[in-house]
Amino acid sequence: MKWLELLQVAGVTLVAAVTLVVLYSLGVRLTAIAGDAQQKSPGLVRSLAAVCFGICGLAVLFGIYLIVPYFGK
Amino acid sequence: MVALVIALALFFDFTNGFHDTANAMATPIATGAIKPKTAVALAAVLNLVGAFLSTEVAKTISGGLIREGSDGIHITPDIIFAGLMGAILWNMITWLKGLPSSSSHALFGGLIGAAVVGIGLHSINFETVLQKVILPAVFAPLIAGAVAYLCTRLAYALTSRHDPETGDKLTQKRGGFRTGQIFTSSLVALAHGTNDAQKTMGIITLVLIAAGTQAPGSGPQFWVVAACALAIAIGTYAGGWRIIRTMGSGLTEVKPAQGFSAETSTASAILASSHLGFALSTTQVASGSVIGSGLGRKGTSVRWGTAGKIALGWLFTLPASAIVGGLTALLVNIGVVGVVIAAVVGSAAVVFMFVASRKSHVGHHNAVEVEEAGHAVKFSKKKKSRKSVNNKDVQR
Repeated sequence: MKWLELLQVAGVTLVAAVTLVVLYSLGVRLTAIAGDAQQKSPGLVRSLAAVCFGICGLAVLFGIYLIVPYFGK
Repeated sequence: MVALVIALALFFDFTNGFHDTANAMATPIATGAIKPKTAVALAAVLNLVGAFLSTEVAKTISGGLIREGSDGIHITPDIIFAGLMGAILWNMITWLKGLPSSSSHALFGGLIGAAVVGIGLHSINFETVLQKVILPAVFAPLIAGAVAYLCTRLAYALTSRHDPETGDKLTQKRGGFRTGQIFTSSLVALAHGTNDAQKTMGIITLVLIAAGTQAPGSGPQFWVVAACALAIAIGTYAGGWRIIRTMGSGLTEVKPAQGFSAETSTASAILASSHLGFALSTTQVASGSVIGSGLGRKGTSVRWGTAGKIALGWLFTLPASAIVGGLTALLVNIGVVGVVIAAVVGSAAVVFMFVASRKSHVGHHNAVEVEEAGHAVKFSKKKKSRKSVNNKDVQR
């Protein structure tokens, strides 16, 4: 049986999905905070949110990079 | 015969496409992140791209499922013809019923049935069947569901906002997830292309090798890749609205953050599995994710009745398509007349099911009742125009 591979797939799935969701959620949260009226430095928070979205996008691109054999050679 | 099999394989690819559009696009359509027509067009393009991106899966398709080589057993075009017939018919039936079922299992089932009848029981490697079909079928929804559950919980926990003094709920502002859904669902469509289009490529290559027009052990030729990519893209664009309805609103009410989590889990699971060698079915992963995300959000209920029906459909996929595949193999064994009968009966059945589907038409206009609020991505105030009264959560 390929229990090890099954475990591997489950692990990778968990790590990848959680990373993306956490990053994106943080981005959404920070965007929301930046929109608050009493927020003192909305610019800073907004750029933090952009960084979160950015890293999230990079993570996705890295994932695609990993699976396309053309780049793997 | 070779030409017939290739045509049939491409048709299978087409059914695979419209059967599986739902996996990627059901949740964004349900939350109103993308308009239905745009969604299927997007999915079609990404399936096309995905099919070209990687042909790794095509090389290993159905390898070892049927014992080849050493025992002198050869897969003939006849058997593949019969197997495809089984797979296509089962795909059509489940589509008519609006059940998301695994196209790969239908394909495996058809091939197994055809091989048992055409060659004999000894031609099947049951250990591989267990390993490649049964176990993944059990674990795919479990893994995807668990991950989606966790992700949904996380997404809601991270974005839930309370007033620090009064403890009242603030405007949650989760609209961002709706935009995010466009990307995650695209990723699922891409994953589907890198995965499912490959199966047909593998089959056609197998036929070409069996017919002696291609060297054994070589990868799919370019025209095969192109034809399969196109077939699956057209199929996707045709849109399996019935299954989209089941996935998008039949299992649970889907909210953007939840859909985002479900899609992320689906994409991760498919990509991880197809590139680490433990193939999971796209459909089963996607269904698992939707259910998992439904469990993860407070105030949602999962319709276990529908889930049960889907699970039942999965149970029947392999045997049912095996039976059809076996029957077709019997016919084909008669000779040319049998092949003709099988082809005619098969097409008649497909046409019949298509006609039957017209009676209760499900199209892009009525596949999912999109909440009106769902259209307003830029909504910033509290959304009160919700249609779904039955869900009592105050989170949004």
